[in-house]
Order: sequence, then C-alpha cells, then structure tokens
Amino acid sequence: MEAYVILKSLWWLLLGVLLMGLAIMVGMDMGVGTLLRFVGRTDTERRVALNTIGPHWDGNQVWFILGGGAVFAAFPLIYATAFSGLYVVMLLLLWTMIVRPLGFEYRSKLPGKNWRNAWDWLLFLSGFLPMVIYGAAVGNMLDGVPFHFDWDMNSHYTGSFITLFNPFAIVTGLVSLSLSIYMGGAMLMGRTEGAVYERARKAVIGGGLVAAVLFALAGVWVSFLPGYQLVAAPDPGAAQTPLQQTVTVASGAWLHNFGAHPALWLVPVLGFAGMLLGMLAAGNHKPILTWWLGALAWIGVIGTAGAAMFPFMMPSSSDPSQSLTVWNSVSSAHTLAWMTGWTAVFVPLVLWYTSWAFYVMRGKVKSEAIEADEHAY
Amino acid sequence: MINGTVVALSRWQFAMTALYHFLFVPLTLGLTFLLAAMETVYVTTGKQIYRDMAQFWGKLFLINFALGVSTGLTMEFEFGTNWSFYSGFVGDIFGAPLAIEGLMAFFMESTFVGLMAFGWQRLTKVQHLIVTYLVALGSNLSALWILVANGFMQDPQGAKFNPLTMRMELHDFPALLFSPDAQDKFVHTSIAGYVTASVFVLGVSAYYMLQRRHMALAKRSFRMAALFGVLATAGVITLGDALGFVGGHAQPTKLAAMEAMWHTEAPPAPFNVAAIPSQSQQRNLWTLQIPYVLTPLITHTTTQSVPGVDTLEAQAVQRIKNGIPAVEALKRLSSNPNDPQALTQFDAHQADLGYGFLVQRYAPNQDVALATNADIAKAARDVIPQVAPIFWTFRVMVAMGLLMLAFFIAAVMFTLRNDAEKHRWFLKLALWMIPVPFVACEMGWLVAELGRQPWTVYQMLPTWMAASSHTVGYMVFSLAGFLLLYSIFIAVEMYLMVKFIRLGPSAHGRESPAHGGGSAGTYAPAAMLK
Amino acid sequence: MKTFWMFLVYLLIALLVIVLGIILGDIGPWYFAWLVGTVMIVLISAAGGALLDTQEEEQESSRA
Repeated sequence: MEAYVILKSLWWLLLGVLLMGLAIMVGMDMGVGTLLRFVGRTDTERRVALNTIGPHWDGNQVWFILGGGAVFAAFPLIYATAFSGLYVVMLLLLWTMIVRPLGFEYRSKLPGKNWRNAWDWLLFLSGFLPMVIYGAAVGNMLDGVPFHFDWDMNSHYTGSFITLFNPFAIVTGLVSLSLSIYMGGAMLMGRTEGAVYERARKAVIGGGLVAAVLFALAGVWVSFLPGYQLVAAPDPGAAQTPLQQTVTVASGAWLHNFGAHPALWLVPVLGFAGMLLGMLAAGNHKPILTWWLGALAWIGVIGTAGAAMFPFMMPSSSDPSQSLTVWNSVSSAHTLAWMTGWTAVFVPLVLWYTSWAFYVMRGKVKSEAIEADEHAY
Repeated sequence: MINGTVVALSRWQFAMTALYHFLFVPLTLGLTFLLAAMETVYVTTGKQIYRDMAQFWGKLFLINFALGVSTGLTMEFEFGTNWSFYSGFVGDIFGAPLAIEGLMAFFMESTFVGLMAFGWQRLTKVQHLIVTYLVALGSNLSALWILVANGFMQDPQGAKFNPLTMRMELHDFPALLFSPDAQDKFVHTSIAGYVTASVFVLGVSAYYMLQRRHMALAKRSFRMAALFGVLATAGVITLGDALGFVGGHAQPTKLAAMEAMWHTEAPPAPFNVAAIPSQSQQRNLWTLQIPYVLTPLITHTTTQSVPGVDTLEAQAVQRIKNGIPAVEALKRLSSNPNDPQALTQFDAHQADLGYGFLVQRYAPNQDVALATNADIAKAARDVIPQVAPIFWTFRVMVAMGLLMLAFFIAAVMFTLRNDAEKHRWFLKLALWMIPVPFVACEMGWLVAELGRQPWTVYQMLPTWMAASSHTVGYMVFSLAGFLLLYSIFIAVEMYLMVKFIRLGPSAHGRESPAHGGGSAGTYAPAAMLK
Repeated sequence: MKTFWMFLVYLLIALLVIVLGIILGDIGPWYFAWLVGTVMIVLISAAGGALLDTQEEEQESSRA
C-alpha cells in the first residue's frame, strides 16, 4: 500500500480517537452540567458538584476545540461542508457551549439566589443540548445529508434545518446524552460523598440503562436505513475530489462492513459490555472502574458508527455520488505527514500533564474546603 | 451563485465576533506574564504581598479569561459555518496551524489555568510558579499559531494550488511557520497584549492610590506594570515598523491604502499626516503633508519607489488578463482531471488564478471567458481596499501607541522616585488610559484585515467567493443571536470586573495579617455585597 | 552525586537554549527576539518590584 493511503486511514482513525476523547472528557463535564440541579439540592451541594470538574473543564473542552481543528486540518472538505450545511444546528451547539465557561467562572462570584439559579439552568442547558446535538450529528451522517458541489467545490446544502432533527437522529442524540449523564455521574461518584454521591450513582445506572436500550434500538434501525456503497471511484491513494465517483444507496448497506469482517461485531459488543459492566460497577460502589467502563462504552459506540460507515464520512442524500469519503475529503499527504509528526510529539505530552493535573486535584471535594477557598466555583 | 448581501453579512458577523474576541485576548496574553512576574518575586523573596498580588490580579484575569475562551470557540466554528468555500480551498494549509494551536497551546493553557486557580494549596510554591509560566506560555503560543494562520492569509507562503483537488495545498511547512509576516505579526500582537495588561494594571492600581486603599499592593503593581509596559510599548512600536516594512513588500495595496497614496511619486515621497481620501475620485480632497518622509519611513532608504494606487491598478489589469485562462482551464479540469491541454494551460497561468477569480464576479454568467475590458477594469479597481477607514484606523493606532509610550515613560519616572501617589493628575490620567490599548488593538485588527481586502487569501482567493452559500435569513438569524448573547455577556463581564475592582483585594480576605492557607471565613460573600 | 546530576541537567538546558538560539536566530529572528524580549521584560519588571521593597525600607530607616 502506498504511504498516502496509510496516512489517510491513520487520520481517519485519529479523528475517531479525537471524537472519542471529546465524547469522554467533554461529555463527562456536560453530564455534570446536566445533572447539576438534580444531584445538588442545596447551593453547597451544587458547588461541590461543580468543583469536581472545576479545575478540569477548561482543559477537557480543548478536546472539542481540537476536534474542530483536526477536522479542519485533516478533512477540510468535511469541515467546510458539515459546518456550513448544518448551520442552524451548529449555531445552537456553539451558543449553548459558549455560555458554559461563563457559567463555571461567574456562577459563584455573586451570592444572589436568582443569579446562581439562572447560571445553574444555563449550565444545565449547556450540558444537555450540546450532547444531544453531538449525537444527532452522527445520526445525520448515517442518514445522509442533502448537499452537492459546484464545479469549483463550493458546497450547497439543500435541506431545511428541521430535517436534521429526524427521529433517527433524535435517538442517536439521546444515546449520546444518556452516556454523558453516565460519565458525569461517574465523575461525581469519584469526587463526592453523601447525598450527592448517592444521587450520582443512580444517574449512572439510569444513564447506562437508557443508553444500552437506545443503542440497541439504533442498531436495529440502522439495518433498515438506506446505506451507501462506493461502486466506482478513483484509487484510494490518488488525489481526488468527490466529483469523480459513483455511489449507490441500498437499504441495510451500512451492515456490509460487518458482513465482510465479522470481527467488527466486537466493537458494538464492547459498547454494550462497557455500559452493562459499568452499571454493575456503579452498583458495587467502584467509581473509578465505572468511569473507565463508561469510556469503553463511548469507544464502542463511536467505533460502531465509524465501522459501519467506512470509508464514508458524510454521505449526500440528494446526490449520493458526491458523498464525502475518507479518500476524497482528506488533506494532502504533505499536510497529513506534518500533522502526524506534531500529534506524535504532543498527544503523549498532553496525556501526561492532563493526568498529572487530575492527580494533583485528586480526592473528594468537601463543602468546607469550597467555602474556605476563594478560587472555588 | 453567492449572494452579495450574504457575503456582506458574513463579513460583518466575522468582523464583529473577531473584534469582540479580541477585546479579551490581549489582556490574557499580557496579564499572564505579569502574573508570572509577580509570582516570581513572591517565590524568590518569599514576601506575602506578591502572592496577594498574583491572586488578586489572577482573579480579575479569570473573569476576563472566561469570556476569551467562550468567544474563541466561536472563531473555531466560524471558518466552517460562514466561510465554507474558504475552508475547503485553503484548509489543507490553514487548518494545520489551527489544529496545532489546540494541541500545543490550548491544552497547555487550559489545563494549567485550572491548576493555577485551584492549585494554590495543593502545589508547592515552585510548582505553582511553573504552572503560571506555562499558562502564560500557552496563551502566547496560541497567539503564535493563529497568527501563523493569519500570516498565510496576508502573504500566502509555502503553499501551491493543486488542480487535481481544486484547492491550495501545503508544500513547505517551515516557510509557512517562519513567514516574515507571521513572525512580525505574532510579536507585534503578543507584545501589544503586554502593553494592554500593563495599562490595565497601572490604571487599576492608580485608582487604589487615588483612594489611598491597598497602598502596598497598588504601589508594587504600579511599579511592575510601568516597567513591563514601557519595554513592551517600545517593542510594539519597533515591531509595528517592521510589520510596515514587511507588509510594504508583500501587500503593496494595503500599504497604499494605509498611506492614502493614489499616485506613485518619485522618491523620496511625501508623507500624509492627515488626509480626506475619496475612493470614488481616487484622490485626497485635503492633505497635511511632510515632504520626503514617506520613502525612508517605509523602505528605510531614500531612493526606492513606493507604488501608488494608479500603478497597482495597472498591474492588476495585466494579472487579471493572465488569470482568466487559468480559471478556464480549471473549469475543464474539474470535470476531467486528466485533460493534458487544460493542465498545461493552467500551469502557464496559475500564478494569477486569484485575479481570474476576481473578475468572475463581473463577467456575464460568471463565465470569465466572456469578461469584457470594462469588467476587467471594474475588477482591477476592486484591488484597492477602502482607503479612508484604513488610513484613519492606522493613524489612530499609531497615535495611541505613541501616547502610551509617553505615558509609560512618565509612569516609570514617577515610580522609580517612588512618588507616583503624589501626582494625582497622573493617577487620574492612568485611569482614563485603560480603554486606550483596547481601542488600539481593535484598530490594529482593522488595519490588517480591511487592508487585506478584496482578498481572503491575498492575491489567491477573493472575499466575494469565500463565503458559505447561506440565505439572508440564516445570516440575520445568526447575527441577531450573536448580538443578543454578546451584549449580555459584555454587560455581565463588565459588571463583575468593575465590582471586583471596586471591592479590591480585601474582598479576597488576603490582606489581613491573620491570613492562613484557606482558613474558614476568609471567603466572605456577604462582604462582597457591601 | 545529586549536585552533579543537577549540574548535568542545567548544562543540558544551557546547551538546548544555545542551539535554539542559533536555529531561531537564523530562520526566525523575530520569534527569537520575542523569546529574549519576553524573558527580559518579565525579569526587569520583577526586579523593579523587588527594588521597591528595598527603596521603602531605606526610606523607613532614613526617616527613623
């Protein structure tokens, strides 16, 4: 195989890793946001919940920013087409996300009850909505999005934004939401005690259960959904645009990859195993194990979507032959090579100091400590 | 094809959100290093007051930082949501610095900012100091990468158009990273942030000195900010000149607009101190000139000629004519990438591809083959950006820079004699100076980006075709949303900032001698309400 | 022994800085200037702050 094909595939994998990192780390913080008002009944309890992720949410959020940057750098055409096509949804995602940093930083700066309640609800919204949209976006990719290109590769989206909230996308959105609730609960279990801990534990089990049921439902649904198949295309290693291929649509075609490589069935199994064992771990008061099993569940879920769609990334429902695949939307070999170098140096470094930061801030968050620390949220 | 109103609204939205983001960034860039300097004194001398300083200014820093992070998210989205053609066209190059920015800078800045705020009790003195330095380094590295990306838009280095993928592709990463425009721009911008932070700290300290509150903290902050600021201002001015020098070669149209130079004059050319430029008549209705000064100012010689608008337009006509066959060939290559004739034709003309795109807008049916000489003349006229706003924003920026230099020299004089608190007029002036660096930074952004027009990527991609193909309704929706959210945000931020400045470090519970690491009662929300 | 290892570490840092200086100074003169300039600005500002303490103590003692 030539180097360019390997680089293309590598970046498809790395993008998957990033989406998983994003889902695990940002999803956890958003789960805490979603749960904030439910695990915390008093102001102090809510502050405890917020401070479990207080030192980390900002660093975690970079997974999200990096996700955007990596799509831009490695799959520019996907970045251009998806972000502009899903305009209204992207703005909703953005607007809810930009409230979050302010929520963390400003909420406890003033003592007013209304002030804090308002920020609590905003934190709820900015945890809940982005996770639904995140999952719904993946659902829409599986469903296909109506877009096409001009001769100069200018993209046009021809659907309305309402179609982005179709029933299948809502199911995938809820899978993502319930997993984020699970992960938020797991983090809270690890860093809190007493009432908050107990409520968080229930949230983990509830979130895991809903996620497992909906993930199964989505799986069955996908087997009836129209899937996309490459019929004719330039060599994967060739520089190309999406204007030079032929794609057909057939019901159930998203399962073809699983048919061709039965070992892939292990990926959804990993997802289910993570959720079910995770619920058990939560039942047995093992917060750290619960967290790691939740991370495995995310890997299984996102891996399943990727395995079903490969090599497609963003199929076009209105003009299937202009669908975006790994092969035709990727960056040049030169860019991918440079990016691989940067990634090889910096990702281990980032993982190292992130775990150091978690290590420094380890242990339970105590209400007395929060009241004594003027930097606490 | 793309609607002109949509392009205009997209430009407005990007400019407003970027300028808004850029209200918070400079303070972050500079204040982090000032915090690091304060903490350095704390760690080396062990004096508690410097820890109080680092914590108090750190608190104000975090209020500002949150909004910087928020509005930065918008920027990461906006290239794709609103400039999708641009994103696909240059993503191969432009995306890389953005991704590296996240990987190298944002992770560092954001992970350690959490430890900086929450780690006072958990880290040793030296560890915390290192964390603070890493926050400062991380935030400035993020400025580095985004300005490398911006440098590419100003002066596309290290890239080549690939007709097989219909986009520009990276072919020399070091050339991109070390592009002279990126280098100057990064240092100029980063240090402008140092100046902003210095004026901010100086102004707030002066406020306390006027009220005779928190004198120990205010005097020390005043001293450190004054020294920090005077050196940084000198640096900004030096780099501003270097940027003009580099930009003058790479972007002659921007330079002509900055100096309102409608005609090429024999060197040494006169310098317009002030002017009323008229775009439609292509001349200055009124000017105040200093003879001979422009040429040495820009070229650092007395003999090199600086091209005016007339010369640049004439050059553009030639380049448009040469670019038209490139666009035609590209169109053929789009349907058949293996057309050898089209490939040869493209290779011969590709240097002026961008100019071919420029005329596409005026050509009948957007078919460049049908472009008349009148269409070409119109497109050539577009090459010159709007002179009046660039000329004046540039002058306001420079004037403010010089004003701040004078201000800091006075501040250093007073603080070295340790009698700043006796010059109450100066303290009042310092308070009024706070908005100046913020305005100067915004002006700098305007000069750089308005001066780049009509291009998104200089001489490669015209702005008119770079935007996403949205409807006007979508744009009105998003503009309204941003307007609403951002107005609320700035109101909340300013309210908190002013409130915590008024309260001063005591709200912090840190100035009492009985201070002990986080003893109960030092955090007093009730006191904040007074 | 510990002193020796520390010496080695510092030596390594010094060599690294020199190499960085040579490379950056060649191809990225302004980046290099930023590095040097920022270090200088921070240190001068810090020293200035510390100097104020000395000045104040001197004023105190001369008054007394």
